[in-house]
Amino acid sequence: MNNLQKYIYRQFKKNETAIHELNYLFWECTSRCNLSCLHCGSDCSKDTSFPDMPLDDFLKAIDSISSPAKNFTVVLTGGEPLMRNDIEIIGREIRKRGMRWSMVTNGYIYTDEKHNALLNAGLGALTISLDGLEKSHNWLRNSKHGFTRTERAIELAASSARLNFDVVTCVNQRNLKEMDAVYNYLKTKHVKTWRLFTILPIGRAKNNPELLLDDFQFKGLMDFIVEKRKRKEMDVKFSCEGYVGDYETKVRDGAFFCRAGINIGSILIDGAISACPNIDRSFSQGNIYTDNFYEVWQNKYQAFRNRNWTETGLCEKCGEYKNCQGSGMHLWHGGKENVLVCHYSKIVK
Amino acid sequence: MKQNHFQKIIRGLSLTSVMFVFQACYGTPQDFGYDVYLSGVVTSAVTGKPIKGIKVSVENTSQYELTDSVGTFNMYVPKLKNYKVVFEDVDSISQGSFVSKDTILISANNSIQVNIALESK
Ligand code: SF4
Ligand code: SF4
Repeated sequence: MNNLQKYIYRQFKKNETAIHELNYLFWECTSRCNLSCLHCGSDCSKDTSFPDMPLDDFLKAIDSISSPAKNFTVVLTGGEPLMRNDIEIIGREIRKRGMRWSMVTNGYIYTDEKHNALLNAGLGALTISLDGLEKSHNWLRNSKHGFTRTERAIELAASSARLNFDVVTCVNQRNLKEMDAVYNYLKTKHVKTWRLFTILPIGRAKNNPELLLDDFQFKGLMDFIVEKRKRKEMDVKFSCEGYVGDYETKVRDGAFFCRAGINIGSILIDGAISACPNIDRSFSQGNIYTDNFYEVWQNKYQAFRNRNWTETGLCEKCGEYKNCQGSGMHLWHGGKENVLVCHYSKIVK
Repeated sequence: MKQNHFQKIIRGLSLTSVMFVFQACYGTPQDFGYDVYLSGVVTSAVTGKPIKGIKVSVENTSQYELTDSVGTFNMYVPKLKNYKVVFEDVDSISQGSFVSKDTILISANNSIQVNIALESK
């Protein structure tokens, strides 16, 4: 983007922030999972001691939304959402309200029957995690049959023209070299969209260097995405995990914009009201068991909608601050004195 | 609306038309709503009573649903110009035997209601 475009984009972001229309709501409907991934805890700070949230509690919260946005979507996440046996009922209740729903899954129990039942219940978008070819995927997912099960889920999702579906891959030391092979594999499976992200040095990943990319490898990953996007065979993209300077718009459809608390909200397993589930839980803005969800959305979220507080630590004197604004909210933890990872600094070194 | 006006300007400047479509790191792509709600009741042409266990499917999709104890079915199916909905008795022993039937429907809006009576074999 040239400077004028960057300026306009900043104004656009300001405008979006002022409007803060809620159109993407995560529901952390369970903390149960059927896998024990090596990187679990690096992308979330889940407390597995909570029971599944009753559907009625969630519905009561979304019924507080007086006039939902046209494309308002509930994104079911967990844990593994399919551990619940009422996902189809949940989906139908959401659709009854004129809203849409989607789901993130590891694909392990995404069977042919389940696929049919979910589509019948109005599932509209789906994300399936695949972390490399068979050996790498099974290693990261800590599961012997993980790959085979996920492969079937991908085939089913790709066979449905109705689903807006993508595969996400968590890039690490073990699978980095096979990204080309994964790309070719996904092509054979007719996958149209592939999203890549890296692992943050928190949770279990902090003490496992095999999970983390060094700066050189990270830059290599950006180049890989740029090259694959040029081919226009598949929509390959970098996730929204951080600001990447000159790579912006070359590795994604649009430039970086952390919409947490601006368009993205969440209801977490304990009823906490927040934004993306990978954001530090101390950013919670209320709780559906004590607050009116939509009132919280409309009137709170100050830390999300005014990011000036991120101008500290590494970001304080950064020349890119006005475009980056402290990167993603999920990169601020603990005392919020410093950004956990600066993706930009990885590519300019 | 203020929002639409500003978004139009941004689009006009060709920054990118897809910046309004987003997803969070650990979230899914957005759903563009390409489906239609198909529902109805299956009854017996002889007794007029609802039939349970009739397989209702839409040609050229893999989707199907079985009618429930009051003969109803409801499912979201991909948006198509027209639909060939097929009704098959796959549970003939418990409910009597019925002749399969199909019907062509045109989708005019976001929901289609179809009630059908099946002849006995
Ligand atoms: S230092 Fe902060 S503001 Fe600067 S690029 Fe890195 S994350 Fe963004
Ligand atoms: S917090 Fe921001 S950058 Fe992080 S996943 Fe959410 S929207 Fe993306």
